[in-house]
Formats: sequence, C-alpha cells, structure tokens
Amino acid sequence: MSLLTRVLKFRSAGKAGPAGVEPEEAPGVRPRLFWSLWPRSDRDAGDAVTSNFLLHWFPAKVSKSSMAWSYSFWLGTITAALFLLLTLSGLPLLFLYVPSVERAYQSVKDIEYVITFGRWLRAVHRVAAHAMVITVVLHLARVFFTGAYKNGIARNQQRQWNWVIGVVMLLLTLFLSFTGYLLPWDQLAFWAVTVGTNIASAIPGIGPTVRELLIGGRAIEQATLIRFYVLHIFFLPAGVGVLFAYHMWRVRKDGGLARADREEIAETPRDVAASPTKTYTLLGVARGTSPTVTARSLEAPGTSVNAVPDLMRRAMIATLGTIAVISILSVFIASPLEEPANALITPNPAKAPWYFLWLQEIVTDTTIHLGSFTINGAFIGGVVLPGLLIGLLTVWPWIDKSPRQVTGDWFPRERRTQNLVFIAVLVGILLLTYIGMELRGPYWEWFWPWEAWPTVPGRI
Amino acid sequence: MEQRTNSPYPRVDRPMLAVIGVLLVLSCVLFFASDRAHDWRYYQMVFQGEVAQKFGAERADAVTTGIQQIWVADLGRADRCITCHQATSWKGFEQADEPFRTHPVEPLQAHPVEKFGCTACHGGQGWAVDVLEAHGEVAHWEEPLLSETLGQAYSLTGNKGALIQMNCNICHRYDRETRGADAINLAKRLVDEKGCRACHTINNRGGRIGPDLTRVGEKAPEQYDYSRLSGQQTAFAWHVAHLKNPKALTTDSTMPNFGFNSEQAQALAMLVLSWRPADVPAAYLAGAPRTDTPTAEQIAEEERMRTGPGAWFVETGCVTCHSIQVYGVRSPAQIGPDLSNAVEDVQSRFGRTIDDFLAEPSGTMAVVLSRQIILTPEQKAVAIQKLREAFAIYQKQQAEKER
Repeated sequence: MSLLTRVLKFRSAGKAGPAGVEPEEAPGVRPRLFWSLWPRSDRDAGDAVTSNFLLHWFPAKVSKSSMAWSYSFWLGTITAALFLLLTLSGLPLLFLYVPSVERAYQSVKDIEYVITFGRWLRAVHRVAAHAMVITVVLHLARVFFTGAYKNGIARNQQRQWNWVIGVVMLLLTLFLSFTGYLLPWDQLAFWAVTVGTNIASAIPGIGPTVRELLIGGRAIEQATLIRFYVLHIFFLPAGVGVLFAYHMWRVRKDGGLARADREEIAETPRDVAASPTKTYTLLGVARGTSPTVTARSLEAPGTSVNAVPDLMRRAMIATLGTIAVISILSVFIASPLEEPANALITPNPAKAPWYFLWLQEIVTDTTIHLGSFTINGAFIGGVVLPGLLIGLLTVWPWIDKSPRQVTGDWFPRERRTQNLVFIAVLVGILLLTYIGMELRGPYWEWFWPWEAWPTVPGRI
Repeated sequence: MEQRTNSPYPRVDRPMLAVIGVLLVLSCVLFFASDRAHDWRYYQMVFQGEVAQKFGAERADAVTTGIQQIWVADLGRADRCITCHQATSWKGFEQADEPFRTHPVEPLQAHPVEKFGCTACHGGQGWAVDVLEAHGEVAHWEEPLLSETLGQAYSLTGNKGALIQMNCNICHRYDRETRGADAINLAKRLVDEKGCRACHTINNRGGRIGPDLTRVGEKAPEQYDYSRLSGQQTAFAWHVAHLKNPKALTTDSTMPNFGFNSEQAQALAMLVLSWRPADVPAAYLAGAPRTDTPTAEQIAEEERMRTGPGAWFVETGCVTCHSIQVYGVRSPAQIGPDLSNAVEDVQSRFGRTIDDFLAEPSGTMAVVLSRQIILTPEQKAVAIQKLREAFAIYQKQQAEKER
C-alpha cells in the first residue's frame, strides 16, 4: 500500500464524523474544478484521477518504442518546456520593461545592471527564445524524416492536420521571436526589424500596405513598438498556447506517436486472453476490484509500460533538463544591447535576426543589376521562395504518397527521395544562414573567418 | 495490490533525474553567485575599511551600502557612480586615490550634483555598476569617461584631463570664455583669430563655403572617412588629424592648412565635438545670450568694409580668402594673397594676364570659381576693372614709399 493511500485512508477515517454517515454517492462524473487532497470517500479519491488534467494528457499505457530517446529525441517536449520557460521568465520582465521609445532602452539597461537577477532573467528569455526556434525546426524535421504526419491504422486519424497546426506554430514562433527582437529598442533591434519588415514590402501590389499594417505607419516608431509589444506579450503567446493545446489533444486522438502505429502494423494485433492479474491501478488510490481488460499485444507487459510513472518521469527529465541547461547557459551568455535606436545611423552591416539571414542572403544574391534594369531580389528571396517553401511544407502530407507501413520509421527506403530533398533544402538554409551570420561584413561583403572586419570607429 | 509492470526505465531514468536535480541546484548557485558578483560590493567593503581607519568604526558603520544613485529627473539620468565613488561627499579624502577621492567643492557650487548628476559632465555610463561598463569603456557605449587616462591615450599635449571640457561646452557653447575650460577657451580664440566663420557657419552665424559646423558634434563616428587616418579610429582622432592637415584626410578639401600645433588641434577638435544640441532643459544653459554676438569693433569693421571702396569684393565673397589692403579690406582667414597688386602678382605667379587668368583660372581658384563663387563674364569684367583700379592705387603707394 502506497504512502498516499495510507494517508488518504487515515484522513477519510477521521472525517467520517460521529454519525458515521458516508457522503452521498451519485452515479456519473461529478464536474469539479479541483480534486481534494483529503478525500472523504473512495468516490472522492477516484475523482482525483478522473478529474486530473495531467493524468489525461498522457494515455494510461505507452509503448516502449514511443518512449525511446532516439526516436523522437523528445523535441516536442523540449520545445514545450522552452515555451513554459519563456512564459515564466517573461512574466517578471513584464513588470520591468517599459514599451515606450523614450524609456524602453533605459528599462532594459536597468534590467541588465541593477535589477536583482535581471541580467539572468533576460538571458534566460533570450537564450530560450533562440533555442525554441531551433527545437521547433528540429521537431519539424524529425516529424518529416519519420513521416509522422501520415495516418497509420487507427480510425479517424488526422495527423496531416496536426502537421499543418505545427507549421502554423513554427511561423508563430518565428514571429514571436521577431516581435521580441524589437523591444530593447537598440540599434540591433531597430535595424533587424527594418530589414525584416522591408522584405514584407516586396510583396507585389500590397507590399507597402502590409508593411504599414505591420509597423503601424511608414517608419519604425512608437506605433511599431507598442504593436510588436502587444503581439509579443499577448496575442502570439496566446495563439501558440491554444494551438499547442489542440496539438496535444490531436496527438492523443491520433493514437500517440506515429511510432506506435508502426508497431501495430508490423505485428498484427492478436487478442491475448484477459488475465485476472492484469489490472489498472489508478494512482494507487482505487481499491477493491479493479477493471480487468482484454489486453492487446501492444499493451502486453513486454511491449508497453505505464505512463505513470515511466512516461511522466521522462517528460520531467526533458522539461527540467531543458530548464537546467538554459538556466546554466544564461549565466554565461550575455545578451547584447547596442546603442539606442537611431533611424539616422545605419549600422554596417545591418542584419536581420539570424533565422531570417538565409532570406537576406538570398535577397542580396538575387538582386541583379543589368544596366538600368534591376531584378528585385526582395521579391524572390523575401516572398516567392519562403512562400513556396512554407506552402509546400503545409501541403506535403497530401503530396507524400509513400505507403502507410513506413509511418514512424526513420529514413525508410520508400521515402528516400523526399527525405534527401528535405535534407538538401535544410542544409542549404543552414549554409546560407551561416554565410549571413559569419561571412558577411560591412556592405554585405564576403569576409572569410580568418579575415578581420574593419574596426568600428568610436566617438572619443 | 498494484501489479507493477516489468519496466526497464526506472533503473536508467531515476539517476538521470537525480543528475538534473543536481544541475538545477548548480544553476541556482550559479545565478545567485553571478548576481552577487559585482565590483561595487568589493569597493564598498574597502571604503568601509578606509573610513574605519580614518574616523573609527562608528562612522564606518554609518557608511551607506547597496546600490546608490543620483536621479536627475530633468536630465533623465540615473547616475550610480556614487555606489563605488562613495567618498565624493566626504571631507577628509581630498588626497586619496580614486575611487575614494573627495569631489572638489568649487565646480559643485555652480553645478549642484542633485541637478547635474555625474555623467552630464564626466561622461561614462551612469546606469552601470561595474567598472568597465560604468566608465563606458565597452562596445556600444559612445560616451566614455572623460578621464585623464583617456587624455593620456590621446597624448594630449596640455592638460591631460582637458577632455571633460567638451561636456562643459555643451551648455557653455555661447560663452566667450568659460572659467576652468582652458582648452575650449584656447580653441574659441583660434576660431576668432583664424576666421573660421569666413567659410563655416558656427552657432548659426558665418559663411557657407565649408560645411555648417553648428551641430557637427552629433555626426556619428561611422560617418567619417578613416581610409587615410592611421592610428586610433575615432571621430576625435579624425578631427585632430584633419585640423593639422585637411588635405591629408580629404584630398579634395579646399580648407587651408593653418599649421596648428598639437595642442591647438586637440583643443579645436574638443570644441568641434562639443558642438552638438544640448538635450538639457533651457534653464541649464549658461546665462550668455543664445548666439555668440560679434564685439562692437568687429561690427564696426565689417560695416566699414561693406560700405567702403572694397565693398564689391566683400559682397562677392573674395574677402573670405583675400585681403585688399589698398581698400582697407581685411580677410579674416588671409589664405590667399593680397589682391591690391593682383595685376602684377598673377603675371609673376602664373605667367598670364589677369584677364586671361580669370577667364580660365587654374589651381585653387579653378575650384573656387567653379563651385563656390560663380561669376558671369560681366561680373568678371567688373572684377578686372576694380583690380586695375586697386593696382593703380597700389603703385601710387609704392612710389610714395620709395620716395
């Protein structure tokens, strides 16, 4: 008997009252927001399970292959942990940061220099934000490589739509990071957002209108700052939160990770005789006759484990591990804060945030001057190419005609070509990002890593 | 009761969770420690020791601890310098070394610290509480502490601590002379003597041949061309080198080389960099009128030149560079030769007649007459006529002298 059960028993015995009248029992689920730590009856104790959100997030049993670190690398969990960390570290920053062009820079300086733990908090928020962009992309790549957006065997699976939700969340994550980029109101922020929003104005016809809508005017000013701020602290996180909840719900509805489907396809499910010893315990609080179910091969003790505690523990490892790593990194990684934003002085080079640098690189590479004609690179690199990539990514589950037997399998032969193309595109993007980050100096000129950039002059 | 599945996970995952627990504790230790590790804690400890030694333990206990700041709402400045420089308002540390020296009383009488803070005069980054950041000797901070150390780095020939005078002159720019700002005063005298205003507009008054210098101090360091400057690449170094030899930095510059020595060039560079809009309330500006008005003699002389026989040369702008002694016209800059004997002078310099030279000028005059002073053929005829008249007077004077 677990300790919890014993405590609960003790409490319920004490609460029975002098008359010894048990509380009224009624059939059906009782809608209650919270369950009691000190249940007065078995019914109350059972409610601890039926109304516990965390216990319903995960299935009761989970296949061992889905648990493997080397299948999913737990990238989704890590991303969710980063989002949690960003929310938690963002809350105190809300009290300290002032979204006004006169005060923003100063308030960030105060966070950096004199607020207790301010520098660390800001670093956590920044490092976690950059890390989230990376893990979201890695998660997406993992799902692509394993074809996990494909439906397996169960009925009513809608994995392709969960993939679409994922793509939308990727875009929201990028925009969250981008809106946060402006807030310190320093030169880095101002010009990165200038470059980023200028790309938007290359959309034919409506480009300038889109840019105006985005920045709330024709120049990056107070209207832009407050717009980005409100998007950053409320609408975008709320959007990610809602989509995340739906994303999780869909994973449950679709029968867990695609890996689990693969196993069921691989070995034909067979009925295993119900064994009298096979019971589900409900956190150890339910006593008496437990429901006995007919187990399928997948749920046999050999192939699966209980979600509580095994899955829960691993989720804990992923979440707390992420928090620990980000927290330690943030002690050592200083967040940049350049000169206050100045619309009159363009830093050379002016670079977009790093995750848009591959686009900026393409924009410059496709801007070609032929005599008096100019081929507008911003249209190709800023609109056509990313639009095409995102569009393809979104509809890919419907284009991918590989057999469903390979769902949840890393690099299957049947999906070799598309995986290679995906890798090629990914490597190309990474390469262009690296070039933009490290090899482009003043006037966007090429500098090898061993070549020094010209020194930036000071005033005095 | 509960049948446990034969799970392989606890054996591996529990130690892993334990390691993460240790990492979390470690991270707490690290970020607590990093938040505690500030230079000011050390300096406050040392200062308490110094006070205890000088005045006894009782007064040492009264020394304030924690981050201290002077908040000047009018200037929007929070100066935390006194967090380390705790002795500024203490008597008895006049001879001590920084950071524990008493601030001289005299400058504070006219500039009370609660109204001006520290960085408005000294430069540096008032927000910061660690030495390097606070002294502004870090990337992305353009107002370093204007200290003697910085003066030494620039090998100032005069007073090594003179750089702070740049900040004096932000408010005192219209003073003819500011007490205690010797370098700036020297530079202001040079501006008058060398007639910088002949070409440049300064404080909204002056010529338009050179760039307007009224707000040149706010020009960003990136906006200078350093390709011909060796050594430190800063706006200040650029100005010093440019003042010593303009053409060396800007090859097509028409600014003459005035032969300034190092001290003069450095003083002028300080003055030039101090010419930027003061972002202070009007009440902070020194009491002098808001433009530096010319003296009575200067006005009288200008009036005489404007109405005298040489008026044409004054109006046309020749006076910027050339005096015409015979007409009593005196150029403030005196860069070019006197025009009284231009008729024979041009012949001897260029081997051409004055008519020919003005029709097809060469050298500096080619630049000036094509860009700055554009003359119609009729105006050129007037010029030649007037120069011949001047030469006639000149010859008469010479003849008288010989006699």
